This record gives sequence, structure tokens and C-alpha cells, in this order.
Amino acid sequence: MASVAESGVIPASRRRRFSRRRFGQATAPYVLLAPAAAVIGVVLAYPLYLLVKMSFEKYGLFELIRHKGRWVGTDNYASIFQDAEFWRVVVRTFLFTVVCVSLTMILGTAIAMLLLQVSRWVRIALTTGLVLVWAVPVIVAVNIWRWMIDYQFGVANWALTKLHFGNFERHDWFANPWSGFGVFTLLIVWGAIPFVAITVYAGLAQVPHELLEAAAIDGAKPWAVFREVTLPLLKPILVILTSLSIIWDFQVFQQIWVMLDSRPTSDYYTMAIYAFHQSFQISEYGLGAAIAVVMVMFMFLATLVYLRQMLRTGEVH
Amino acid sequence: MKVRYLAAALLVAMLAVAASTASGGTSRKHATKLVIWLQNDAQNGWPEAVALANRNFKAQHPDVDVDVQYQTWGTHLTKFDAALAGGDAPDVIEMGNTEMTKYMAAGAFKTLTQGAFPNNKTWLQGLKGSCQFNGKLYGVPYYAGARAVIYRTDQYKAAGIKSTPKSLAQFMADGRKLMKKYGKDSGYSAVYFPGKYWYFGMSVVYDYGGQIAVRKGGKWKGALNSPRALVALNQVKALMKLSRASKTGDEANPQQALVFAKGKVGSFVGNGWEWPYALDEKLGNPALSSSMNAYPMPSHSKGKFMSTFLGGSDLAVPVTTKNQGLAADWIKAFTSTASESEIAKAGNIANTTKLLAFNASNPKLAPFAKAAKFSWFVPTSPNWANVENANVLQTMLVKIATGRASVKAAATSASNQITRILNTGA
Repeated sequence: MASVAESGVIPASRRRRFSRRRFGQATAPYVLLAPAAAVIGVVLAYPLYLLVKMSFEKYGLFELIRHKGRWVGTDNYASIFQDAEFWRVVVRTFLFTVVCVSLTMILGTAIAMLLLQVSRWVRIALTTGLVLVWAVPVIVAVNIWRWMIDYQFGVANWALTKLHFGNFERHDWFANPWSGFGVFTLLIVWGAIPFVAITVYAGLAQVPHELLEAAAIDGAKPWAVFREVTLPLLKPILVILTSLSIIWDFQVFQQIWVMLDSRPTSDYYTMAIYAFHQSFQISEYGLGAAIAVVMVMFMFLATLVYLRQMLRTGEVH
Repeated sequence: MKVRYLAAALLVAMLAVAASTASGGTSRKHATKLVIWLQNDAQNGWPEAVALANRNFKAQHPDVDVDVQYQTWGTHLTKFDAALAGGDAPDVIEMGNTEMTKYMAAGAFKTLTQGAFPNNKTWLQGLKGSCQFNGKLYGVPYYAGARAVIYRTDQYKAAGIKSTPKSLAQFMADGRKLMKKYGKDSGYSAVYFPGKYWYFGMSVVYDYGGQIAVRKGGKWKGALNSPRALVALNQVKALMKLSRASKTGDEANPQQALVFAKGKVGSFVGNGWEWPYALDEKLGNPALSSSMNAYPMPSHSKGKFMSTFLGGSDLAVPVTTKNQGLAADWIKAFTSTASESEIAKAGNIANTTKLLAFNASNPKLAPFAKAAKFSWFVPTSPNWANVENANVLQTMLVKIATGRASVKAAATSASNQITRILNTGA
């Protein structure tokens, strides 16, 4: 192509075809993206706009029936920020997210490392197990867990008693919010590990074997090899997985809601539940929307890290 | 998740609006469908009454399809709110009598003409009151329920209890006798009392002269930390010691009548319909029919009955309906004397005093009819439903049951919350 350009004589017809193709190449991605953008606009942007609008309105049952809110400015935000319960819920949600995400990432990575070491059959069995867990719909999983830890008939209480861990007969796991959230942490981490383990395993498969060997020959201990060689190479994947996990665990709702018969006591409110409670149980949709908007802000920060990593990964390639 | 929920709700609402406007033009020619929301109590307890109403309605309007959709107490208002927002609400809805005021005040229901409904001159006064707001009628009384102690006669006898207790102290002493006799089985409850069972817990409060809230000078004030209420709540805590029910569970998950049917319960405080429900062929245990009976819960002052929560349901017509006339006709069919007799037979108190004799003459209904004479009701504020939905009383009782907070601390925190919700709504 350079030679043609140097010669300076390009037949007109050919030039036009060339530029048209170039134009096509430039616009094609946007044309292809348009349907998706339109769908996102309808199902996400518009509702989000309504949500933000509602968060500045007095929107109770009266307004709901008439389909028209009353503008109150930032009153809803002022009232949630002054609400002690709201801050308790925020702190609880953050703690819960930190614990769930840390456990998920550590255990998920450990299982991925394990997958590298075991024989083929064990690996297939383990992967199948992980995929099956991943495939169980949340509501079904919650109901299975609910039966396992049932107060009266649960297998957990029965097994713990039989194994002489103490008398767990009629042990109520939700009597104490710490033990209750322990159960929820187990449930969430159990459900989240497969995705992390399988993704990290895929990432590990990309780590060049020679690098590890070289490090080992240089006298690095396994832990040092992991920390100095494997971890830096896995970093992009780990950052993305962590951001995604934060997003998922921060908005936990169904697990708690279904497990506690749609009537969790206030000790079990997370931000998602608190927003739902304010909206649908107290019929203060404006307040609920304000809480939801604050939640979206928090999530946006988590997503920002994720997006930055995505863009960086894009630049490398 | 909240965002997604709200987004989804909004989307559903938008689609529903689109669908309803679309169908408005085209499908009017087809058979009209009347959508009725009833609680699943009717499905479990008196399906005959529903079938009868549908038959009678169908005879009157052969071209109208009736679609009865069963709801649960825990979620029906959430669904109703979403449906109201989407203009897709049912044509008739069953509302708990404590839920009515909030919705009447917000203008959610059509006004009704009292004269048009069967037995309207003899409606139970307590229920009728819950259907009126600012002098207008927005609902039709459906049925009422009062709770009494349902117990195992054979276990009482075996534990050496000769007659049913006449005071709360005696009730508790009998409970201890039952625990002594059967309590070695760690699954046994002399009095099955799950931690969130606030209808029973609050009955004790009212029995000792306590109240949930009092109204002074136009303002509500939570009263659960009053000295009398605190004495009562300490009694509640003592009563819970006779129970091995879940301290964080409620009376409907699992259904207490079905737990009773499993045989490891000496007594429980239940509605009239829970007696036959415990004997249900599929879910319960019909063999218990000869060893079951009921008596009104005794008061702490000897010889009196403890006042019971006057529970009940009303039928209302949401403002969004396009079939107001048909909706009223269905309500007429469902609250006819014949249909109400079926409802009473299932263990409830019918909506009319005309049928009270019917209850009194049936030994299985008489204890509940007797109990109903002394009743208490929740504070009549439009915001009361929010107290229920915020689980304020349940949270307090769970704290007391599990010992996570002292009785006084739990009651004070609940009282403050009730004051706030009743006065401000949130």
C-alpha cells in the first residue's frame, strides 16, 4: 500500500471504494452496538432515571395510586443520612461484603491451585462439582440450605449433635445475628466459589511453565514462586473477579429474604433489604429510591476499579 | 438488587400499562375476567365457600370468568402496591382488618353502597368499623376470627390436669405439669409459642391492662414500656419457657396446627379454623379428632378470659378496576348467608350476628365464639400497617424470646419505633 501512496496516482474509483470501506469499518462497531445500547437504554437507563427522580420526591401509597410524586428536593437524602438505622445497615453491609469477598477469593484461588496439582480424574470430578453448584438457581439453593439448617428437622443440627460437637438439637441458627450471618456467609461463599475457582484455574493454565521452573531452579520456595511469579501474572483476573464479587455480595437480597420467610427482623437488614423494606413494606418509595441511589453510588465506585482494569487489559492487547 | 427490583418493577409496570391499554381496545368483546385475590386460608380452610360463590356468580353472569388467585399474608400488600402502580390490580381483594385504614386513607378503594350487600344490617360491628373511613364504606366484612387454646385432652389427663385452667397462673402450672410428663422428649412443647407470634404476645399485654400505643392530644405514643405492659411481657417470656418452638419463627411457618398434628404439642393458641386444619387428611392427623378440644385462654385475673385479638378480613374493590359492578356482585355471592355458613363451619366467626347462634351451638366453634366476646384491636392509625410491615412487634418478641435484650430494653426500643411510625408513617 505504501508504494501506491508514494506514487501519488490512485485511480479515483479505487480511492472511493477504499474510503467507503474505511467508513464502513469505522461505523460498523457502532451499528452493531446500537441494538444493545437501545435495550440498555430501555431496561436500565430509563428506570434508573425514574429511580433518581423518585428519590427527590415524596412518593407514598397516595402518590403511587395517582402515579404522580411530589417534588421535595433532597429531603429524602437528608432523612436517610440522619437515620441511625441506615448507618447500622451500611456498616453491616460493608462488613458482610468484605468477609464474603475475602473468603470467596482466598478459597476460590486455593481450589484453583489445587486443581493444577491433582490427577485428571479428581480434577474432572472437582470441576463437575463446581459447575453443578454454579448451576443451581439461587432460590433452589436457598431452600436446600434452609432445610439443611432447619431448626427442627435439619441435617446440620442432627449431624453436629451426632458428631459430638455439642447439643445442637433444636438449635436456632438465626436466634443470634452473628450465627445467622455466619450461615449467610457460608451460603454466599459456597455459591460464589465455583466461578472464581474455574476462572482463576483458566488463568493459571496461562502461566508459562518455564517461568515457574526457572524460579524454582533459582531456589525460590513454593510460596515465593506463588507470590512473585504467579500472583503478578494473575493480577488482572483477580482484580476483575474481586470487583465482580464486591458488586454481587454488596447487593445480596434473595438469600436472606427467602431464608427468613420474607420477614427478616431488622438485625438482618442489608442495604438491599432496607431499601426494599422502605419501599414496599412502609410504602415510602421516595425514601427507598434514595437508599437505592446511594447504593448505586457505592457500586459505581467498585465498578470504577473494574472498568479501569478492563481498559488497561485492553491496552495491553 | 434493590435497583434491579425497582427497575424490574417499573419495567413490569410499564409493560402492564402498555398491555392493559392494548387489551382495552381489542379484548372487550371476549369474556370478561374477574380477578379475585383471596388469602390462602380460604384455599386451605373453606374452599367450599369459594366454589359456592363462584357457582352462584356464574349463574348470574355466565359469560364472565372468575379467576381466584390465592395470596399469602406476608407478601400480598407488596404485590398489591406493585399492581396498583401498574394499573393491574385485581377486581376484588381480601384485606386484613388491620391493613384497611392505610389503604382507605390513600384512596386505594372504590366506595361501596352498604344497602346492596347481604346481611348488611347485622354485620359484626368490629369488622364494619374496619371498613369505614371518614364516614364512607370501602369494604365488606368477610369473616372474623378469635383465638382460643386448642389442646390435647389425652395429654392433659395423663399429666393429671383435671379441668381446664381458670387463670393464667393455673394455665402455666398446667403447662409445667405437661413438661414434667412429656418434656423429656426435647421436641415437646406444652404450649407451642413461636417467637414472632405477636397476636398471642399482645393479648397478654392487653390482659394486664397494657396497650401497644395510646393517643394523646392527636399524637400517638408507643406504650409497650409502660409498667403494666412490662409485667405482661415478662409473663410472655415465662410462657415461652413452656415452648420449644423456634424463637425466631412465627405461627404460620410452619403452620402451628400442622406441628400440633405431629403429636409433640400439648396446646397452642389458634384460630377456629386451625382445629379442623390439624385434622386434615393429607397434611394433618385425622386420628387426633377424639383427643382434641379447645377453651378460651384464661386471664391473669381468675375466672375471666384473656381478651383476644379480633382478627378478621374484609373484601374491597380497588380503584383501578373496570368491573366495579361485577366485583360487587361477586362479593355479594361470597358473603351470602349460605356462603358465610360454610365459612363459619370451617371454624370462623361469620360476618353477621345472624349466624352467631350457629357458632354457639357447635362445640367445635363455641370456645372461639366465647373468646371473641372479649377482644382488643390494634391502634386505629392509617400508619398502623407500617408497624406490622416493619416487624416491630415481632422483632421485640424475638429479642425477648432469645434473651438478646432485656424485656425493658426490647420494649422501649419497640415503643420508640411505634411512636415514630404512627406519627410520621416511616
